[in-house]
Amino acid sequence: METGKISLLNGILRKKSSAHLVWILFLIPALLVYSIFMAFPLFQSIRLSFFTGKGLRPDNFVGFDNYVSLFTDPVLSVRFYNALRNTFIFFGIHMFVQNTLGLLFASFLASKFKGHSVYRTIIFMPTTLSTLVIGFIWTLILNPQWGALNKILTAVHLDSLIRPWLGDTQIALPIISLISSWQWVSLPTMMFVAALFTVSDEIVESAMIDGASNAAIFWRFKIPLILPVIGIVSVLTFVGNFTAFDIIFAMATHRGEPMYSTDLLGTFFYRTAIAGEHPVAEPNMGVGAALATVTFLLLLTGVLTWLFLSRKQRLEANR
Amino acid sequence: MKPSLPYKIVTYVVLTLWALIVIFPLWTLMVNSFKPKRDIFKDPFSLPTEVTVDGYLNAWTDSNFSFYFRNSFFITTVSLFLILFLGSIAAYSIAKWRSKIPGLFYIYFIAGLMIPLRLGTINLLQTIKAMGLLDTVFSLIPVYVAMGLPIAVFVLTDFIRALPDELFEAAKIDGANRFGIYLKIVIPLIRPALSTVAIFNLIPIWNDLWFPLIFIRTEDQRTLILGISLLFGQYQSNWTYILSALAISAVPVLVLYLAFAKQFIKGLTAGAVKG
Amino acid sequence: MKNKCVFLLMIAVFLAMPVINAFATGDGEKGGEAVTLTMGSWRVDDVKQIKKICDAFSRKYPDIRIKFDPTNPPEYNAVLRTQLEGGTAPDLFYLRSFGISRQLYKEGYLENLKGLPGLNDAFTKESIMPWADTDGTPYGVPLLAVSHGIYYNVDIFKKLSLSIPGTWPELIKTARAIKDAGYVPFANASGDEWTIAEIVFMNLAPAFIGGYEGRMQYETGKRCFNDEHVAAAFQAVADMAPYLPKGQEALNYYDSQQLFLMQKAAMWMGGSWDISFFESENPDFEWSVFATPGPTEKDKYICFHMDAGMGLNSKSKYKAEAKLFLEWLTTKEAATLFGNELPGFFPVHKDIPSLTNKHADAFLSLNKGRGLDVRWAWPSLLDGSPDGYSLMQNNAILILKGELTAKQAADALQKGLAQWFEPAKNCGN
Repeated sequence: METGKISLLNGILRKKSSAHLVWILFLIPALLVYSIFMAFPLFQSIRLSFFTGKGLRPDNFVGFDNYVSLFTDPVLSVRFYNALRNTFIFFGIHMFVQNTLGLLFASFLASKFKGHSVYRTIIFMPTTLSTLVIGFIWTLILNPQWGALNKILTAVHLDSLIRPWLGDTQIALPIISLISSWQWVSLPTMMFVAALFTVSDEIVESAMIDGASNAAIFWRFKIPLILPVIGIVSVLTFVGNFTAFDIIFAMATHRGEPMYSTDLLGTFFYRTAIAGEHPVAEPNMGVGAALATVTFLLLLTGVLTWLFLSRKQRLEANR
Repeated sequence: MKPSLPYKIVTYVVLTLWALIVIFPLWTLMVNSFKPKRDIFKDPFSLPTEVTVDGYLNAWTDSNFSFYFRNSFFITTVSLFLILFLGSIAAYSIAKWRSKIPGLFYIYFIAGLMIPLRLGTINLLQTIKAMGLLDTVFSLIPVYVAMGLPIAVFVLTDFIRALPDELFEAAKIDGANRFGIYLKIVIPLIRPALSTVAIFNLIPIWNDLWFPLIFIRTEDQRTLILGISLLFGQYQSNWTYILSALAISAVPVLVLYLAFAKQFIKGLTAGAVKG
Repeated sequence: MKNKCVFLLMIAVFLAMPVINAFATGDGEKGGEAVTLTMGSWRVDDVKQIKKICDAFSRKYPDIRIKFDPTNPPEYNAVLRTQLEGGTAPDLFYLRSFGISRQLYKEGYLENLKGLPGLNDAFTKESIMPWADTDGTPYGVPLLAVSHGIYYNVDIFKKLSLSIPGTWPELIKTARAIKDAGYVPFANASGDEWTIAEIVFMNLAPAFIGGYEGRMQYETGKRCFNDEHVAAAFQAVADMAPYLPKGQEALNYYDSQQLFLMQKAAMWMGGSWDISFFESENPDFEWSVFATPGPTEKDKYICFHMDAGMGLNSKSKYKAEAKLFLEWLTTKEAATLFGNELPGFFPVHKDIPSLTNKHADAFLSLNKGRGLDVRWAWPSLLDGSPDGYSLMQNNAILILKGELTAKQAADALQKGLAQWFEPAKNCGN
């Protein structure tokens, strides 16, 4: 950019009254695209939660009936509460496993050592794969007839642990959650690495001269600095997993097999609003939209609470 | 900082263990993509006894796959560029505009993280149709940009907010206007965050199947994943073809990742010098 | 100024995309001589074969080309529905049988095919019904049916000197002998839950409830869904449980196919669509198929399911041309082509052509002397909640897990259907 032209622009933009205008200009393109291609279609569809009828645009107004049946209908509500519970488990495992591992890997990768870029790339590799391929490979590894896991367990005389992994209603969901954590661990890792780099070397070195151990340094200096990032990562894990769909679809079909034990809000929504309960079923858009709205409100409450708390904390820290 | 020896050992042990957990499934993918489909299930984890490159040849010589590759690459890079550009400039405005208004826009944007866009498919289809974009790669770009903006605004706003105000004041005194500040100060400083956002959006865009299914019919406008989805049969699938195609399809993502990771590291070291 | 310009230019380009695009694609719409019809389908496997069939049609009608454009099966219903409502659906498309397509017809997306030349001559009333409104108005041309039975490994049967079982108890005895010899008796598994519904329970059900006539008893309320016949059908599922492969809870459809192909499993309760797969995977492997037996020798029924019809988009620009194609589908020439190009998918034509594929021909010949009926849940049990399909599937799986007895499963089916299905509410009179 040439300076002359900057100052020319600056001349126009310097006036106080135009200050707001520039900020608005910066926002407008994103707002336009986002509103036309996301907010508006979604708003139109949320409206459908008050209607019933066949097809994708039900037109028979029923007030809150869809919500009522979601919470009380003997078939629907059982599926709904089941999916809600599973989603919390799915989220909890990601939160614990994926983010803890991410933090651990980041704390290793933040210091330079031989081969650290190789390890970084390896951690990222599963993320580049399509869920289709991840589903296929892990199903193959866990296969009860010719899977590698059972072969390994047999080789080390742990046959008693062998299960029909993905066919067991108790453990299918935890296993798929772990596989999904395996796939996505690179993202929290990256964000934590970015945060850890902001810890200046001098502080750490002076602490080491004082004889602080690595662990002590980690807890005393690094954790406070990465706390805000933990916040962002948690929110992303929260919203990401509450709308998760792909990995279940790839590994347990859109019915959350076996016996709905891996059914999440995302798959339940897909079945209700888009695909139907069985291969030749008609979806119910009204109830599907109601379900999406409930999920949305749940997430919004969670995220707004976080925003409020983090803002309060920031204000206190600044004081 | 120089890590102590025990710390180094722990580092290598943990990371190597993890590397094994990553590499074994990838190994499974690679060896099976070179096996004739009949051999895959016989012994899925051994080296192929009979090597075939049929799957790769099929993906390579099947002229449509080159279309699919080109389309996916075009859609992904253009969408990512727009997400980063529109998202960062909007995030800059939200983070530094001293007014009540941007807070509302912030919530408006991140609300988009919380609801699957599939719900709005039929309305979206009508919009795309009315714009005359249907059945072209251009139909997907605005949708992906809209889908990527919430996460971009969410992550970038936080990063820009953390940039010290003194930097902006100094630049102002030097006579830079806001767009100049955005280009010369904001963008270089948030490079790691931009890379993160790019990577967050890269995979869902590259691997999306739903919107191509709805918007695209013409062969030469299809995306890679749409092309691959047609290799999955109703009751039978040629896994050699599918695994080869999926293995190839991961390569551009990996290349893009490495490019972003380079930017990421550059941004980190740049930030560290300043700090 | 340069940056500002770049910035504005980008927005301009972005907003102008529709216009650019209109130019880019505009030339494709020139009114040429030949009309190209698009055909939607869920059979991604059949691209080459359908092309061959459509080429045969185009040789007769050189001005009409047909482009086969399938969608992957799990998303087919949703994609078609979206395209119909959004006005972007193909001209011709495959129709699922019964309820789901009837709904599309009622909403006006399907052309009424009453009076389509050849339709009534080529097909029986029963085979038109899956693609006709309740008053008999047809909206689809019957295209393909699939059959169900039990595949068996000829070599293993020879080696163990087993004969084809004629009754269910004999089948279980055969299974025991196979297990004792160290093979897996049935390759079936519940890792893909739909297989238990479609190729196990609904495969054996006609032989236990008495085929079409028996089904009618339930659908008119004369019999309850928990009577002894239904309980016996569920008991048959329970009988199979000890003879399924190890870890069957986690084995999916592909795994089952592989178990049978690798000759580890001696029998595979399956559908006729697997014929071409088994032939292409292992041409040397000798297998055949027998009809799923009932409780006694006299129970001779087969689940012969009306799978796909062909419908015409009521908003198609080329209805006249599309109707010519539909009319051609009613000819014996078309039926023969379909039957021979797609072994295992059988034409529904009255005048069944003899099939060149010997496996397909053998499968189809099982129909002789047996009563035929579609999959039980399809005609009437899908339009309520809880639907009959899910009830049959989930309860059969609970039986396999040992969590329900056959009688309890039948009671659960009756109880579930009685919530909405009128004949089930006051049945047994």
